[in-house]
Amino acid sequence: MNGMRWILAVIAVAVLACVPWFGSDVVVQFGISTLLLAVLAQGWNIIGGYAGYASFGNSTFFGLGAYGVAIAMVQWNMPFWVGMVFGAVMAVAFAILLGLPVLRLKGHYFAIATLALAQVVAAIVSNIPLFGENIGLVLPPLNNDAMFYEMALALLVAATLTVWWLTRSRFGFGLIAIRENEEGAAVMGVNTTAYKVLAFALSGLFSALAGGIQAYWITFLDPASAFDISLNVKMIIMTVFGGPGTVLGPIVGAFVLSAISEVLSSEITSVASLFFGVVVVAAVVLMPRGLADVVRRFRKSGWHYFAENIRAHKL
Amino acid sequence: MPSKAISFSGLLAGVALALAITPASAKDIVLGASVQLTGSSANTGRYYKDAYEFAVEKINEAGGVKVGGEQVKLALKIYDNQSDVNLSVRQYTQLVSQDKVDFLLGPFASNFALADSAISEKYQIPMIQGGGASDQIFSRNFKYIFGTLAPASNYFGSTVEMLKGLDPAPQSVALLYADDAFDVSVADGTRKLLDDAGLKTVMDEKYSSNASDFNSLLSQIKSNGAEAVLVAGHETEILNFVRQAKSLAVAPKMYSFTVGVPSEDFRKALGADADYAYGMTAWLPSADNKDKWFGDAAQFADAYKKKFGYDPDYHAASGAADVEAFAQAIEDAGGTDPAKVRDAIAKLSFDSLYGKIAFAENGQIDLPQTVIQVQDGKVVDVYGANGVINKPKYPMPAWNAR
Amino acid sequence: MDLLAQILINGILLGGLYAIMALGLALVWGVLNIVNLSHGAFIMLGAYLSWYLYSWAGIDPFLGLPITAVLMFCLGYAVQRGLLNFVVRGPMFNTLLITFGLEVVLTYLAQLAFSADFRTINPSYAGNSIPFGPIVIPQARLMAFGIAILLTVAMWIFLLRTRLGRAIRATAQNLVAARLYGVDPRHLYAVTFGIGIGLAGVAGGLYGTVSQINPYIGATLTAKCFAIAIIGGLDSPLGVIVGGIVLGLIESLAILYVGATFGDVASFGVLVLVLILRPSGLLGKTT
Repeated sequence: MNGMRWILAVIAVAVLACVPWFGSDVVVQFGISTLLLAVLAQGWNIIGGYAGYASFGNSTFFGLGAYGVAIAMVQWNMPFWVGMVFGAVMAVAFAILLGLPVLRLKGHYFAIATLALAQVVAAIVSNIPLFGENIGLVLPPLNNDAMFYEMALALLVAATLTVWWLTRSRFGFGLIAIRENEEGAAVMGVNTTAYKVLAFALSGLFSALAGGIQAYWITFLDPASAFDISLNVKMIIMTVFGGPGTVLGPIVGAFVLSAISEVLSSEITSVASLFFGVVVVAAVVLMPRGLADVVRRFRKSGWHYFAENIRAHKL
Repeated sequence: MPSKAISFSGLLAGVALALAITPASAKDIVLGASVQLTGSSANTGRYYKDAYEFAVEKINEAGGVKVGGEQVKLALKIYDNQSDVNLSVRQYTQLVSQDKVDFLLGPFASNFALADSAISEKYQIPMIQGGGASDQIFSRNFKYIFGTLAPASNYFGSTVEMLKGLDPAPQSVALLYADDAFDVSVADGTRKLLDDAGLKTVMDEKYSSNASDFNSLLSQIKSNGAEAVLVAGHETEILNFVRQAKSLAVAPKMYSFTVGVPSEDFRKALGADADYAYGMTAWLPSADNKDKWFGDAAQFADAYKKKFGYDPDYHAASGAADVEAFAQAIEDAGGTDPAKVRDAIAKLSFDSLYGKIAFAENGQIDLPQTVIQVQDGKVVDVYGANGVINKPKYPMPAWNAR
Repeated sequence: MDLLAQILINGILLGGLYAIMALGLALVWGVLNIVNLSHGAFIMLGAYLSWYLYSWAGIDPFLGLPITAVLMFCLGYAVQRGLLNFVVRGPMFNTLLITFGLEVVLTYLAQLAFSADFRTINPSYAGNSIPFGPIVIPQARLMAFGIAILLTVAMWIFLLRTRLGRAIRATAQNLVAARLYGVDPRHLYAVTFGIGIGLAGVAGGLYGTVSQINPYIGATLTAKCFAIAIIGGLDSPLGVIVGGIVLGLIESLAILYVGATFGDVASFGVLVLVLILRPSGLLGKTT
């Protein structure tokens, strides 16, 4: 194994961990936001990048994790970590129970089914008093951004290590086999159902933990913000942008796209969303295989790389 | 070496330029806010941005705020939260921790105020908001949040009073409300008011915010014969409600809405169909509300219309009042220390274009609502704290008999 | 009993409106296999177009539907030819992502162009109601329902009986063979998408007469259209009518019997059930 890469990785994590001490408040805020999005992207990477099942409903797990923390802390007066466990349990249970029927679908249908699930859960939650119905819940305020930052960083490291483990484990190879040729994989003896559900549950676990941190950090949540549909698109575009099915791709994608979005939001507020939409459209047309691919092939083909991409995918 | 000389002189020039640009006068007092300028609530959010700017401009014209013997100007820093609560919370954090504004003005809507006030409490910077009326905002023992909208639970207070005096009095009431913080608060309070007034409630339904189809609910109203219909919701929903009521020929003896009737584009969108609708407002552009900077509320309304091209309603007046409250409190406190200004705000009691500005123990203002009705395309105040002002047009005729 | 009858009529008429909204989406999805997440935004644009035609040129919204349809067709053609054609053969979720980006762009362009004010299309007869015994039928919705049936039948005839319709279906099923026959798939795809967007425009014009419009209605409408298209099944335009009516009825009954906050739970719940139990939809052929 590449010793040099490990050292670089450790240094990178150490540097990131020190940001709260020499960065301004806003940088730390941006950092927390970006780290959580990176966790979501890594989570999606497991089910979408490696298993090839493009889920559009990971926001469900994020929301369940967030509500887990909120309910535990606000309705039951329990400490934060109890909430995190509760949220994670809800998300994993949901992933297994609903993953079983939904993972039988393929392609578009799977994507739409997960999207529909996200909507159903949001709609149901807005009717349950324990969850605060549509008004939501307000958590006790805690002024400690550094702590949230380190938690988010630790979670990202855990998620990335899990994905790294995937790339050299039987489970991971099984997922890739499912992605490339599911029937072939089944014939070869891979228990496709178990593997898919496990991947779904793993991605749900990380999404839920990220949601829990977000809930406590923002101190407020309601169904619309906890189950925000646009999160799905963000995590997918970040993973696709950075390179799906790779270990570091989602992180790169998350950092780069968050930076672009943040700059836009603070400079040109009213057209920020418009520009973000344009960026998404341009990215899908010009670099559908992700940033990792751009870096690799740009040296070879120069600007022709983009034209090649278009030619490969156009009608 | 020439390049070193060039870079060194460049550096000197840069420093000189920076020094030249830095204003030599005392620092302005900056008020920060994150308002809905785009997104689904932008239609009402703009009232706040315009009102904040207008008030700051007028106060600065009169010389600004007197602090320690000097006249200091006010400045604004406004972000667009795109009608997204999470973004709004992050922007308030940015306003406090990066932009280092002195004080905070609020967003529109109770759910935003609910979330954003956690920031003002976290950093202990006073926030005066004029967009959230839900009682929940003020029930958490927070010290740094103040609100200039009257409590949600009492929105229908004057309306219920008026109902008792109508002839023939409505025998049954239907209460419909959206499922967000403000409207649930209104409904909770209204239920009590109806009970105390001895009116019979035949329908009590919560509906999803942003619903566009009210046919089911309207059919139920027709079927149970409710004579008075009270709706707590958002402008877009109420617009749909009225239009669909017409197309289903549902005409109760009266209906009243928590929002919409006071604003010009609501009435314009409905045209003649807006007639007979009741609403409420805690503010009317009357010359009785005298103001230190604007003269009185009528002059405020005229000047506002001239400047922005549309009539202000209570949202705008509330926003302007927030700025005036800060100006007054800063002068009273003699400085910009957040804790001192916070105490000064709590003790405020002065007249303004919005009415009397004084906050209760929990930080919320208490103003009575005036019942208004659209009569022949114009807004008429019909019932206030002292009873009937102008005769309400009651009962509402059937749609095809208008 | 009267109330139930009224609710059922409400549901069916609502279904007609829903069907028109979803028809364009189902066409593009079923025939071209393009999942258009910006469909709702195009409905919104169609509504605004109708509004401008009515407010500036005094053209009645129902009579102006053909104009709206043609203009929106041109827009759809341009979008497919100039943008979507470039990603059609890529991985599936690329079209999902790009149409999502398009939805954001269209919504915010609309916000810049039209401001966030809400508008209504209010011809004098829009609020009329037709009494039918103890039931009241809103005139505008009845007209929309009629147009929905008309367009669905027209679409069915077009796809199954006309040359162009068959060419479109053939091209979508086998690109190489189509090319061998001298058909330009780029043009045909663009024509199909254009038709889908033209239908969205018509839906928008009708929607504006029964509900208020603002730049942000796109996302919710798209979600609804998905439910309708899938519940009915993508194989036939008739499926969309069935899907629309089923959804309209389910929502109206859920609001009556469960509670007015359960409309979404009901519609998306049914969507999930259909996907799990019978993904090809109520009218689709099971493979």
